[in-house]
Amino acid sequence: MKQTIPESSDETLRPHSYDGITEYDKRLPNWWLNTLYITIVFWVGYWSYYQWLGIGQTEAEVVSIAMAKIEADRLSATTLDDAALWKMSQNADYVARGKVVFEANCVACHLPSLRGKTESPVAIGPDLTDTKWINGGKPTQVHELVMKGVLTKGMPTWGPVLGAKKITDVVAYIMSKHREGEAIVVEVSAPPAPTP
Amino acid sequence: MPTPAPQFPNRDSVTTIRADGSRPFIYPADVRGRFASARRISAYALIAFYLSLPWIKINGYPAVFLDIAQRRFHLVGLTFAFQDLWLLFFVISGVGFSLFFVTALFGRVWCGWACPQTVFLDHVYRPIERLVEGDAVRRRALAAAPMSLEKILRKALKHTLFVLVSAVFTHLFLAYFVSVPEVWEMVRHNPTEHWSVFVFMAVYTSLTYFIFSWFREQVCIVICPYGRIQSALTDDHTLAIGYDAVRGEPRGKSGTAGAGDCIACNRCVHVCPTAIDIRQGQQMECVGCTACIDACDDVMTRLGRPTGLVRYDSMRAFGGQKTKWIRPRTILYFFLLLVGASVASWAISTLRPANIGVTRMVGAPYILDDVNVRNQYLVRLVNKRNSPADFVLRVDDAPAGIRMIGFDRPVTVPALGEVVQPLILQQARAAYTGPFHFEVRIEDLARSFHLERKVDFLGPEARLLRATEAPKK
Repeated sequence: MKQTIPESSDETLRPHSYDGITEYDKRLPNWWLNTLYITIVFWVGYWSYYQWLGIGQTEAEVVSIAMAKIEADRLSATTLDDAALWKMSQNADYVARGKVVFEANCVACHLPSLRGKTESPVAIGPDLTDTKWINGGKPTQVHELVMKGVLTKGMPTWGPVLGAKKITDVVAYIMSKHREGEAIVVEVSAPPAPTP
Repeated sequence: MPTPAPQFPNRDSVTTIRADGSRPFIYPADVRGRFASARRISAYALIAFYLSLPWIKINGYPAVFLDIAQRRFHLVGLTFAFQDLWLLFFVISGVGFSLFFVTALFGRVWCGWACPQTVFLDHVYRPIERLVEGDAVRRRALAAAPMSLEKILRKALKHTLFVLVSAVFTHLFLAYFVSVPEVWEMVRHNPTEHWSVFVFMAVYTSLTYFIFSWFREQVCIVICPYGRIQSALTDDHTLAIGYDAVRGEPRGKSGTAGAGDCIACNRCVHVCPTAIDIRQGQQMECVGCTACIDACDDVMTRLGRPTGLVRYDSMRAFGGQKTKWIRPRTILYFFLLLVGASVASWAISTLRPANIGVTRMVGAPYILDDVNVRNQYLVRLVNKRNSPADFVLRVDDAPAGIRMIGFDRPVTVPALGEVVQPLILQQARAAYTGPFHFEVRIEDLARSFHLERKVDFLGPEARLLRATEAPKK
């Protein structure tokens, strides 16, 4: 097909040729160059803000501040003492919420009655309503046990799964089955069966 | 100051970039004709379609609602969660290959008829400009005229309308992501209450305004990757808009002896929105807007000559040869389209309104007590529906004598929520024969779907377990 291409005048060609294709050396559009200049100006501001003047928080700082806040929340949750937990166990709201958590997570081993092995010999978990405790029966001890678990016996570390709030609730529910000041028997169980 | 004569298009440089890098603004002339009318109708239909999607409700959600905050994506009645994002790969490749196929056959029909850039520019912004500033001649004269009250008023009116229209479009675009009631809620409140969205909208509106009021064809010529990749997808048999040089050349005024049909009136150049001369053959600036076809047909009709000197046809046909529609390229693209479409359909059909994850509980991988071997899992149930659902969990393919604890009752998962609950499996030591695989299966109570996960039951080698037991007996 015949093309009517105007002859180029004094155009300079770039010195390379690929598969016979050559190209002119044209100026970039001004708007294109301006976007480059704008990014350079932006870079100066950005660099000053984050690196030079240090006004902006870097991502690492944002993360460490958020982590510190989580840690603070956790600490405020773990400074619970026996008295506070006993009080919560008398509070209907805590107990009701704890019951929901218990029924979703704990009944598999400790049974809905909380009586575990006492109720049924095939149950996995021990009785939580009697006064015999394996790892200590103070509310704070129960709380710590739920948090950390007893890995060799199969009690999971519920801390990361449930979070501090739900664990406080569920401990309040368990302690609602007990009275403050009742006689506690700490019964050291037989050493766990070896897990090769 | 005289209006500078526009540079006449040539194939050695882009008309809209001058040698000094500055940009001559284009004032394309009005054009009427069958393609202009058809494009106007299809454009309005498309705009109505784009803008109505967030308003139409299917299955309780807008037809398109990409809810980033809740991480749920509602598309024509289907709801996708973030976990389903892998589908996007197949959907995009399916759409991509469809575009390949259409491009190989019909060239830049997408650009000329359906691309939002063209649709909004040619059928919303340019008509506003035409209404306020007049036709191409007046617009060029107004731009060149010294500052006057009329010029300020006209320019101010035009740009105010542009900003308003851009704001409407961007707000409806935002509705794709946060839904219409939420946009309305935000519009009625103080910007400080949702500062980041407000800034986003301001920036987005400004960008839209800038692109449609000034940047225009530069998007298609310099920025759009699809525009560029098309050069690799088309060939001489692809439909394109072109000039019939056999019929048209040599150009000459009507009545000149030996002249072809082209009378060199340059109407096709004046109406071109990307400032090219279609008679110079296929050019990468051409977006296939059909303005030159209508322009030339109009001239030919007035001269009593047949229309179609500029028309949709393949480069082969313009050279007097036959267009081949079925060729290796179109067969390959069609095959890829089929693969993409069928894999995408299959992938979407595997979608379930829930998800299940089974992980081992933290601690020992298995627990041995006096009588049992025990494995403890956490089952995470995710309900993707917007109504609560009851799930039944079952364990399949486990050896006889396995006792499952937990999930003895159906579990209710709240709408768009999730529930994590323990699942414990234990087997009597005496019956234990070693680790095995089993399947956890959930069904909703209505039995409308089910989901399975393969899970391992871990434990010691049965032989070793017996060996540890032996001395006890």
